Amino acid sequence: MTYEAAQLTFETLTPWLVWFIPMLGAILTPLIAKAGDKARNYFAVAVSLLSALLAASMLPAALGGNVIHHQVEWIPALKITAGVLADPIAVLMANIVAWISFLIMVYSIGYMKDETSLTRYWFFMNFFIGNMQLIVLSDNFLQLFFGWEGVGLCSYGLIGFWNRDEEKHWVGTPGHTVWGVPQAYSPTHAGMKAFITTRIGDISFLIGLLILYSVAGTFDFIHLAENKQWASSLAAMGLLIPVGVLIFGGAIGKSAQFPLHEWLPDAMAGPTAVSALIHAATMVKAGVFLMARAGPIFYSAGSGLGVTGFFEAIAWIGAFTAFLAATQAMVAKEVKKVLAYSTVSQIGYMMLGMGVAGLVADFATGYVAGFFHLTSHAIFKAAMFMGAGALIHATETKYMNEMGGLRKSMRITYISMLLAAAGLAGVPLFSGFWSKDAILGATLSVNTPSAVPLTILASATVFITAFYSFRMIGMIFHGEPSHHLEKLEEHGHHIHEAPRVMWLPYAILAVATVAIGLTGPFFEGALHSIAGSSLEKVFELHVEEEGFKLNFVALGISIAGLGVGAFPAYRYYIARTADPSSLVSGGFLAALYRFLENRWYINALYYKVFVYPSVTIGRGLFKVFETGVIDRLSGAAASSSIAVSSVGNWIDVNIIDWFANGTAAAGTVMSRTARRIQSGVTEQYVFIFVIGIIIVILAVLALGSEMN
Amino acid sequence: MTGILAGAALLILVAEAVLGEKSRKTLPGYIALAAIIASIGLILITQISPAYSLTASHPVFRNDLIGVFFSIVVLIVSALVAAASIEYVKTIGNSAAYNALLLFTAIGMVLLSFAADLLMIIVAWELMSLPTYMLTGFRKRDPDSTEASVKYFILGAFSSGVLLYALSLVYLLAGSTNIATAVTALQKLAPELNPIAILALALLVAGFGLKMSVVPFHMWIPDAYEGAPPTVAALLSSATKKAAFAVAIRVFIVTLPFLQLEWSAIFAILAVATMTLGNVAALTQRMLPRMLAYSSIAQAGYILVGLAVSPYAQSTPMGLVGVLFHSFTHGVMQAAAFIAVAAVSLRLVKSNLDSYSGLGLRMPVTAFTLTIALLGLAGVPPLNGFWSKLVLFSAAVEAGSTVWWGGWLAVIGILNSAFSLGYYAWVIKRMYLDDPEETGRLKEPMGLTGVLVAAALIIIVTGLYPAPIYEFAKNASAALLSASTAAAPR
Repeated sequence: MTYEAAQLTFETLTPWLVWFIPMLGAILTPLIAKAGDKARNYFAVAVSLLSALLAASMLPAALGGNVIHHQVEWIPALKITAGVLADPIAVLMANIVAWISFLIMVYSIGYMKDETSLTRYWFFMNFFIGNMQLIVLSDNFLQLFFGWEGVGLCSYGLIGFWNRDEEKHWVGTPGHTVWGVPQAYSPTHAGMKAFITTRIGDISFLIGLLILYSVAGTFDFIHLAENKQWASSLAAMGLLIPVGVLIFGGAIGKSAQFPLHEWLPDAMAGPTAVSALIHAATMVKAGVFLMARAGPIFYSAGSGLGVTGFFEAIAWIGAFTAFLAATQAMVAKEVKKVLAYSTVSQIGYMMLGMGVAGLVADFATGYVAGFFHLTSHAIFKAAMFMGAGALIHATETKYMNEMGGLRKSMRITYISMLLAAAGLAGVPLFSGFWSKDAILGATLSVNTPSAVPLTILASATVFITAFYSFRMIGMIFHGEPSHHLEKLEEHGHHIHEAPRVMWLPYAILAVATVAIGLTGPFFEGALHSIAGSSLEKVFELHVEEEGFKLNFVALGISIAGLGVGAFPAYRYYIARTADPSSLVSGGFLAALYRFLENRWYINALYYKVFVYPSVTIGRGLFKVFETGVIDRLSGAAASSSIAVSSVGNWIDVNIIDWFANGTAAAGTVMSRTARRIQSGVTEQYVFIFVIGIIIVILAVLALGSEMN
Repeated sequence: MTGILAGAALLILVAEAVLGEKSRKTLPGYIALAAIIASIGLILITQISPAYSLTASHPVFRNDLIGVFFSIVVLIVSALVAAASIEYVKTIGNSAAYNALLLFTAIGMVLLSFAADLLMIIVAWELMSLPTYMLTGFRKRDPDSTEASVKYFILGAFSSGVLLYALSLVYLLAGSTNIATAVTALQKLAPELNPIAILALALLVAGFGLKMSVVPFHMWIPDAYEGAPPTVAALLSSATKKAAFAVAIRVFIVTLPFLQLEWSAIFAILAVATMTLGNVAALTQRMLPRMLAYSSIAQAGYILVGLAVSPYAQSTPMGLVGVLFHSFTHGVMQAAAFIAVAAVSLRLVKSNLDSYSGLGLRMPVTAFTLTIALLGLAGVPPLNGFWSKLVLFSAAVEAGSTVWWGGWLAVIGILNSAFSLGYYAWVIKRMYLDDPEETGRLKEPMGLTGVLVAAALIIIVTGLYPAPIYEFAKNASAALLSASTAAAPR
């Protein structure tokens, strides 16, 4: 890969346009809105289609293994450049993002039909797409970080879209508390929670980047991969792993991995189309994509410097999160919450793949597996979210136990959800089967002691996933209609299928799940060569020529896990031959149920330890800064005033007069006037001023003596 | 160029006497604006074409790039303020006096940017300060404004006294009021005079610190910014503060390395205190001007980070570049924010945060430009505030290889910056997501929105393409450092 900036041709311009056009479209939305609501809606969708078509136009070159790299100077003196890097893996990601976004935009026309202030909605959606593509197509960490911040902002704006916080938009069960911490949140609260939690990750990311930049002198992926000197410099300072982990911290926040995973389930307070786009298919994958960029760089530059610790950390976080979130999905009552926990869990799988990549003989094994799962998950999870949105619209409830028996009245949704759920559960010949198998296979071949525990965690998750996938399908579509639905019928509200503008997008994605599943081995082989050419050409990693290879141990685990998980789900929720509530009526299972339902108590713990104390401190500070200074001194506590003002007098007499000059003398006169205007405050200011001088003098003395 | 400003100021005063009632209201504003823009032009011409260059080695001024950089920054801010004031001052009246005072302040700031002599520093300092006391109290029927003015004046006079004393101590040690000569003398300072040097240093920090809004010399700021007309608050936080930084750079960066004192750690401590206190206090505010005042204090803390790490620069003087760069970006952003407050205060009586609810619909242009300014202040990419903070914090990380606290300073800075988004975003949320008490579109003051759009464009354009300003700041810093080492080789 040569570094010379390529000429600006249509080919090199395309990656720029892919992210620029949605941003431009977003900015134009308020103007187009003046021409009418319909024009605005179609304009927004058209913009996302245009971006998707441009993304597709990059596919032929990418499938041929070509890398498009275009770079312009940005701040030459800092060696900061701006550029796009459309290598095969980025092009693939860009197409996943673009086409799923487009389908969700179409879906939004139907889903958001009756909402007001849609200009804001379309603005944020397109602005989000632009920023997401900026992340994917950047050729350096800094520009990627720009997109990173941008998607965070859009996510905040869209989770809190229903900013009037009506009761029906709350997430969680009202009245449910854990240790006195309420577990139901308003949309604005959920938005703020998401924003602050991901921000913690962003700070970590930024600190890592700054250290990397100060040592390497560049943010450029290709520079970092080519010139590996920085890695040994960092390692010499003992900072190589910390910097890697700090950057990974950004991914933990954005992709909702443990310990920053708590925001995603509550982010479900946003419109379902938003959940599908941002919190299932794209933004939460940004963390995985960041690892797809940073992983190879650290792997190739840090080889022989003990960099495996970094990959161990990724793998462990991923595997643990996969297990943690999957267990919570087993007991969730809201359909979107099941999907949210499931998303966190499945991203954990992808992270496991990215981490395992650095722990096996051939980096591409884990890397391709992680990326394959990203692809298949993006498709089936977006389909499931959109289906869930259609269900919530039709049944006017978000609780699964208030649905039931919908398979006849909403046949298309049923089939689509069933196909997508089969993908999620890893039923053979569906997309998730192959990709999960690849991750399991890679984990099995890890050559460190972590291999066994990681495999156990991943296998346990397979079985749990199968259980909650079919539990969800069963609760929603099988059995008899619930009381809630019967009541709706009585009020003349007939449950019927979603309009075509809504079901078509998720039906398409459900079909894609099957298509990828049927061509799984071929797809994985193609992905291997695509990712392989990215790794070889951009990151200069050697990739072994390897076609599709079935790992029979992994296969056995997958199928056994599927059987063990799916069977009880079938029995309790689909066939309904047994009552699940009898299971948790007492004893160990009941305690376990409560533990899972209360989110392992992690959420409550965070509120107790971080949120409430901060609020208390904040209130206290307000008193100190505002009421403290002004009210206390304006006569309420006269004694302190007198003390302060006598010091003030002393200052007037001894210091101000001492600096006798015209200005200061005038100041003394004025200060007497001022004292009549407001008692004490000004003197206190002067007093603090003098104390400040004394502190500085003392500091100089202290530090000076230390130095000599 | 100071000639133009002074001339214009006098012209305004004469015009006041001559002109009729109607043109009296706005004409002084236009004259002031024209004079400031002409001065910027003149400075740029002298830089581009050496034929028109000012005398290079005047004993009390140094015509160098640092001076040019800061004078352009303060003049750009002054121009924004003057332009915004044209419409704003109509509501107060006495436009001629207002604009004349504004121009005198501008003269003081420009002189301060170029001053290379201790005596000149004092003179320019007073020239800059005195008109601002009057401007702060310009709404003379408003008790808040008068109170703010008096408080500011007392503290300002006090700090002037402190400064004068400090500089006389430096004169005592160095035997010369010229900074370059003083540097040579200070190198050979006898160790037994060190206590005096320490006292001088502390008093200098306090004296400059008042205008630079360094904690604990910041107490007057929230009251003054809240009480002053918002346009004047813009001038105080964005221009006079920057001029104070300019002169602080000249005195500290050039002089202090030759004193055997651990001064950079002091600045590091002050930086941490300033940015943390500023941000924490800002979070608790319910009035936007007060919030912006504390935010302005916090921003000064970031600039101090650059000052603290400037001695540990490696190849490029990143710390100093960051100081210059952030002076520019913060100047424009904070001025824009205060001008937006001015625009809102013309239409709404109250300035507490509740009254900003739903402003996005009621005053869309004002709300949007205020959003840009606030996001810039929070350091959200790709606005220009991100870049200057990036440079400042990179400099601190780089310094981490020499002094242990360098990296921590960067971490604290980043944490503070992230924290600050909390209260900036809160205002934005108010404007766009919350329902107002009364709805209905308000007519936006055209004169002010024009200025706001211009400022927002500067913030966005220099954010998307920051290279020229970075280059300028880098060249200016390099020139200052090479000059100072040439003046006094070790």
